[in-house]
Amino acid sequence: MKYLVTACIGALILYCSFGFDIKPEDIRFVRPDGWPKPVYDLSKNKITVDGFKLGRKLFFDPILSRDGSTSCASCHTQWSAFTHVDHGLSHGINGLKGKRNSLTLFNLAWNKAFMWDGGINHLEVQPLGPITNPVEMGNTLENVVKKLDTVKGYRARFYLAFGDSAITGQHVLKALAQFTVMFESFNSKYDKYTRHEPGGEMTEQELNGLALFRKNCESCHNEPLFTNYSFQNVGLSLDTELKDYGRMAITQDPRDSLKFKVPSLRNVAMSYPYMHDGRFRTLMQVLDHYTNTIVQGPTLAKEFRKPMILSPQDKKDIIEFLKTLTDKDFLFDMRFREQRE
Amino acid sequence: MNYLLRLSLLLAILLLPAYGIAAPAPDSGIVTIVIEPMFGDQPLQLSDKQYVDNFGDTLYIDLFRFYMTGLDFGSKADTTFVLAGYSHLVDAEDKNTLSFSVKIPAGTYSSFNFTAGVDSVDNTSGANGGDLDPAMGMYWAWNTGYIMAKLEGHSNVCKTLHHAFEFHIGGYMPPYNAARNIAIALPRAMIVDHDTRNTLRIKADLATWLTTSLAKVNSIVIPGKDAAAMADNYAKMYSLDKEVQIPLIHE
Ligand code: HEC
Ligand code: HEC
Repeated sequence: MKYLVTACIGALILYCSFGFDIKPEDIRFVRPDGWPKPVYDLSKNKITVDGFKLGRKLFFDPILSRDGSTSCASCHTQWSAFTHVDHGLSHGINGLKGKRNSLTLFNLAWNKAFMWDGGINHLEVQPLGPITNPVEMGNTLENVVKKLDTVKGYRARFYLAFGDSAITGQHVLKALAQFTVMFESFNSKYDKYTRHEPGGEMTEQELNGLALFRKNCESCHNEPLFTNYSFQNVGLSLDTELKDYGRMAITQDPRDSLKFKVPSLRNVAMSYPYMHDGRFRTLMQVLDHYTNTIVQGPTLAKEFRKPMILSPQDKKDIIEFLKTLTDKDFLFDMRFREQRE
Repeated sequence: MNYLLRLSLLLAILLLPAYGIAAPAPDSGIVTIVIEPMFGDQPLQLSDKQYVDNFGDTLYIDLFRFYMTGLDFGSKADTTFVLAGYSHLVDAEDKNTLSFSVKIPAGTYSSFNFTAGVDSVDNTSGANGGDLDPAMGMYWAWNTGYIMAKLEGHSNVCKTLHHAFEFHIGGYMPPYNAARNIAIALPRAMIVDHDTRNTLRIKADLATWLTTSLAKVNSIVIPGKDAAAMADNYAKMYSLDKEVQIPLIHE
């Protein structure tokens, strides 16, 4: 009996790690009804089964880091919507700490600029950020290409994906983009509610939260993506140790001081801690900040110049609504699991 | 006999592509661009040769690279031939990058123009290939964009670690776009045809780049005002050394 149970569990684990093979219908990119046109031009990097699988392999492979310790997935785990859950500041090789909280990864095709400061202008070149950051993966793309070339099997995979067994930086980046662009989240309870589908029945509290959200938050976290991709100063006090002025470091324009990218709030209940430096552990703390601890300053968003009034009950309702943005289909999607292949 | 026939057929097949390169279509010709990295009137030698800049300070050059893109050839008749999508990375350390050949339509040309750097389209279109591959070490990760030109070296006047100076010049966003259009006039009109190989030898003189004192400015590694000013400066370093014409013999 005991053996049987062990065998069953073993089979289940085996099934989970081997059992899912990607088929052409699994890599169809979806533009949900009513959503804007994606920014990323998929026609210039056509997603193929082999390209997607190569991208997935690279995403989970610590070979991308200088000391072979850290993969993309080290800081981006699926069940937290691909952020570094529970880490205020993400850490990479040698346990070194970065200066920012990891971002969630989904609906990246709609993203106009990447990172909290928008310093990276295209999905394909985004991985260069973590790969070369001394405290994240501490490597260079030249080195990654050289290293991959020495690992059995990679040349064949590049050949299958791009018709060329010579590994290039361009193809490493295009493969990663084919994988990450498929992280799509549009099946939360809220989505089912807007589509009038079963499973989309909202409670009165959630609906009240939605109404409050539309009144107070929609100008920045607008539906359906729950961000307008702008850069805003939401009155967080400057961390005197990190001295992170956000967008200004990129544009060198003092009018951008302390502005950070508006993050999407999809799956936000799963992606704590919050804000660019991970200073808040709970959604309630975020809302308490919005009503109580706004730091005034020349670049503060106009929404926060006058105090935002939300009762304790309002806040609870908003949080109940935010929880309807959790998309379990996405968080447990087998296509994005590491495969031993 | 049979064998001989087969052998000559094989030889013919093997040689065909070579002919293809040596003999361009009758209505076009080959132009070879040769870049001559210089310091003043001396050919550049990396690392172990000492130079003196305009301020009398001694220095060594360790690395010198720049992009040439957007090549075009102008003629008196006001027509221009644009070599679409051609990008070339010049690296003083790699002899193979110091010359390259392009095929252009037959005609009489009076200028050669290129962009020293990379235009904004290529800076915003994701992962490019060839010489523009981000793995060439000429790409910024945290603030997307190409490093359009790199100059590194050392000098005792630099109060830095190992007395190093480094200029990584780039940035595509106005007003600090660091790409510069370089126009090289060809005093002797360049006649391009099927039977001639034209060579344009272009000097890139680092003494002209270094017109600010290394004691004052020894590091620029981000886009912005300083980078744009330095690009204005090094845009003047290119000049024509000579034009050479060699008749081609087509078997
Ligand atoms: C050491 C932790 C770490 C590693 C390793 C890491 N990331 Fe990240 N990632 C982060 C952090 C932190 C941010 C936010 C950085 C910032 O804003 O400066 C981020 C941001 C991103 C973003 C931008 C999302 C957005 O909405 O702008 C993408 C995409 C991304 N990472 C993908 C990857 C990929 C692909 C890899 C592997 C090549 C990778 N990351 C490796 C920590 C990491
Ligand atoms: C003026 C634009 C603006 C408005 C209005 C706004 N936010 Fe935000 N929100 C932002 C920005 C920008 C950030 C990131 C700030 C940072 O990290 O510096 C953010 C961060 C958050 C976060 C943290 C998300 C994460 O992944 O770290 C939550 C939760 C949030 N906002 C909820 C709300 C709610 C709920 C409302 C309405 C009550 C609201 N916001 C109103 C701009 C806004």
